[in-house]
Amino acid sequence: MAAAILSVLAALAAYPVVGTGYGVRSVQQIFMWIALAGSWNLISGLTGYVSFGHVAFFGAGAYAGAILVASAGWPWPLAALAGGAAALVLAVVIGYPCLRLKGPYFAISMLGLNEVLRALVSYFEGLTGGGNGLSLPTLDASVAIYYVMGVLAIVVTAMSWLIVTSRFGLRLMTIREDEVAAEAMGIDTFHHKLGALLLSAVGPGVAGALMARDQGYIEPISVFPLAITVTMIVMALFGGKGTVFGPVLGAAVLFVAQEIVWARYPYVHPLLFGAIIVGVVLLMPRGVLGLLQQRYRLPRTI
Amino acid sequence: MLGQVIISGILSGALYAMVALGLGLIFGVMRVINIAHGPLLMLGSYTTYFLYAHFGINPLLTVPIAMAVLFVVGVLLQRGLVFRVVDAPELSSLLLTFGISIALVNLAQLAFTSDLRAVEYITGSWLVGGLAFSKPRMIAFVFAAGVTGLSFLLLKFTRLGKAIRATSQSREVAMVCGVDVGRIHMLTFGFASALAAAGGALLAVIVAIQPEMGGVWTFKSFLVIVLGGAGNYPGALVGGLLLGLVEQVASLFLTTQLSEVVAYVLLVLVLLVRPSGLLGGRQT
Amino acid sequence: MTSKAPAALAVALALAVGGVVPATAQGPIRIGASLSLTGTYAKLGKNQHEGYQLCEKDLNAKGGLLGRKVQFVVYDDQSLPATAVRLYEKLITEDKVDAIMGPYSSPVTEASVNVTEKYKKVMVAPLAATTSIFKKGRKYIFMVISPAEVYLEGLVDMAAKRGLKTLAVVNEDTLFSKAAASGALEQAKKKGMQVVFTEAYPKGNTDFSALLTKIKAANPDVIAAATYFDDAVALTRQMKELNVNPKMYGVTVGGDLPEFYDTLKQNAEYIYGATQWEHTLPYAGNQEWFEAYKKEFAHDPSYHSAAGYAGCLVYAEAAKRANSLDADKVREQLLKLEMRTIFGDYKVDADGFQVAHKMVTFQWQKEKKVTVWPDDLSKGKPLFPTPAWTGR
Repeated sequence: MAAAILSVLAALAAYPVVGTGYGVRSVQQIFMWIALAGSWNLISGLTGYVSFGHVAFFGAGAYAGAILVASAGWPWPLAALAGGAAALVLAVVIGYPCLRLKGPYFAISMLGLNEVLRALVSYFEGLTGGGNGLSLPTLDASVAIYYVMGVLAIVVTAMSWLIVTSRFGLRLMTIREDEVAAEAMGIDTFHHKLGALLLSAVGPGVAGALMARDQGYIEPISVFPLAITVTMIVMALFGGKGTVFGPVLGAAVLFVAQEIVWARYPYVHPLLFGAIIVGVVLLMPRGVLGLLQQRYRLPRTI
Repeated sequence: MLGQVIISGILSGALYAMVALGLGLIFGVMRVINIAHGPLLMLGSYTTYFLYAHFGINPLLTVPIAMAVLFVVGVLLQRGLVFRVVDAPELSSLLLTFGISIALVNLAQLAFTSDLRAVEYITGSWLVGGLAFSKPRMIAFVFAAGVTGLSFLLLKFTRLGKAIRATSQSREVAMVCGVDVGRIHMLTFGFASALAAAGGALLAVIVAIQPEMGGVWTFKSFLVIVLGGAGNYPGALVGGLLLGLVEQVASLFLTTQLSEVVAYVLLVLVLLVRPSGLLGGRQT
Repeated sequence: MTSKAPAALAVALALAVGGVVPATAQGPIRIGASLSLTGTYAKLGKNQHEGYQLCEKDLNAKGGLLGRKVQFVVYDDQSLPATAVRLYEKLITEDKVDAIMGPYSSPVTEASVNVTEKYKKVMVAPLAATTSIFKKGRKYIFMVISPAEVYLEGLVDMAAKRGLKTLAVVNEDTLFSKAAASGALEQAKKKGMQVVFTEAYPKGNTDFSALLTKIKAANPDVIAAATYFDDAVALTRQMKELNVNPKMYGVTVGGDLPEFYDTLKQNAEYIYGATQWEHTLPYAGNQEWFEAYKKEFAHDPSYHSAAGYAGCLVYAEAAKRANSLDADKVREQLLKLEMRTIFGDYKVDADGFQVAHKMVTFQWQKEKKVTVWPDDLSKGKPLFPTPAWTGR
């Protein structure tokens, strides 16, 4: 098993040598989605607290990173970490009030979050360029970002695995199953949920900053779109929420399917995603990996 | 200026209240958060548009038709999909209605294209003193107030209304008392969709219609429910008016951009300080 | 599962998505473009696409370019800058197209130009109006339309000439609209007009009642709105509802579309709009082109169609004069080129910034658009002042 994983990683590491510019960008996107879907899974899959505004962390990281590179001349790898830090701060600010309450209220408050951030970004235009967007100095770092994004995907997946196999993860899942019972057992649900939210915000924050560097130009509408949240949710659900490799599977399969199908049928793309969500929720709530886990008696912790 | 803005706030508040009442009913009775509420409103708008554009029917007369159509759609959605997740963890119903909402918006884009539609039925306003009372909004206000009022009467005095409220308070006890809970769920979802459709039909004369118009209404409806108190139906009225006023006044003193932030901050504040809502309701 | 299989699978997956380098061949000249065929800009992106298609047809009818047929390769970027970036990478590195034409809108162009500069490909960007895109020291990008800043110039100029003193400027908070608004503010300052109110509203905003309440209190002679289509419609209707009566009221993009009048009916009367092109303008071949377009696509062209068409012709002309598709040679020609098409004049400065093309301002009069500014291109006089809503 380990040898299989290592050879896949080796192949991906060698890919930029033979791939085209487009190919490198595409695989880099798969890494990004793995990081995003995997992060969403940490809060929503494990604790059952659905985050509908997760793209807010992505956008916050994108702006933090872009501002540091464009205005303060920071080197982009450092700015990417700062993006993660910014997302962390946002998670604390949002998490404190909203996680004290039960699931539905959290979901509702996350729903509006990214619109609010968009408005704030537009308002502070001296800093963010507002509606004009922000341009970064030209730099072709496509390959370097490929590797960093790959590392991010690995880190998020590894973090997932560590959590799922730990006591902490077990407690999170207890909260998901029955929060009242969890509290009765003495679990400090609030701090556990907050911890999960913080961990789930870092990945998107770093990914956002990396994307900003890669694109060279960001504007509010393109870093806070609902479509990014939808895609991460679909990928995690499809692959298997609450599992470690579910989001990885979901990201890889759906991204490839999307590129192939969407190139020919652009108009029905959201409809398909909506249908997949409905289908997964009704028919295979544990996702593909969940199904495989049941069928082949695979360990719970993959 | 303030006077004008207060009028705008009250006029929009009534619409918020009516649409939010629908959402509140679904949440109260079924504990389901219907993210597809906004798209249902959008379908109501399109119903009005097509009846007006193709058959020349007076847009105001289309309101009951739109309500009837979406009532059926709501019942079908509930019977077909939503009923399966009523007992499941809230995560499932959230995700399910989320998926439905995306699908509905895209279907609308495919069927109607993203081109703006407009119903130019009545424009302009009545001028009283220095204040302008927008004609389409006044008419919408009257209708919305009427529909909301009728809904409350229905909830309070009819057998169906009492059954809905009973199921909302306690499902098990309602069942014991002989209420057919499954049927109540179906009818409630249909009724709520009809309320959303009424909002959409009235909006059709005021704003331009396009497939993505509903999304913001879902969020605002939740906001109203939180403000008024979940499960507290008259609370929707108070919450709606409050939201309308706060938004308009904030736009006056701040910029239009920030008024969205204000609404959100209001939500967070209420959740922090009085999570059961201003009029008291049930906290989950 | 052997340990080699996953590796092979990963590589296969990557190749399936990314592809391997294909062999090049003689044959048609392939021009690649990423266009907004779906998403927020779908309507206008489609018009631009049709402009490109008509250009392809006309070029091929005249024997093609450099002795070869011309063929457009177009992908849909869904109106998203991030997608356009990937698609241009695809066109350049995978499909290995011979030439590039620009996408729709300033934000998408701004993101995409980083790719074309990276690979040193010439890009004529016919639908990018924002000055800043062309002032960043880039070498391979060329502008065709007049910049955003002059969209409201006609309105302000006419207002000043008629002795109007106060102006309110509102705009959508996006790249193009902000540039148009700042241009209007500059113009107003130059003409000695006083700006009594200015505010930006978020994209997608539908409720202008508070904004208009503030404007009404400031009582400006002129309202200049840097808008797209949806907001222009909403703003107009709500102006009527709140009884806001400026002496002149103008919008930018969207005001020139026939749908603007279809949606607003008589409420669109007296409104000024700005357009990069009208089919009634006295450019050679204009009317014939208009008829040919209508016949081909069964609807009227907008200026986006004409700009796309002209941009493609400009590129073809430069390539012809360079007698090559080599980027540096074509670039040299594009910098020197002075040309008039059905769209108007083309000439750029050293940054590739357009300096010759003229915008016109029109007014909706009795269901028709009448060009009222500048004087040498106008077909009629403006109906001034705009009567109050209640007095119509």
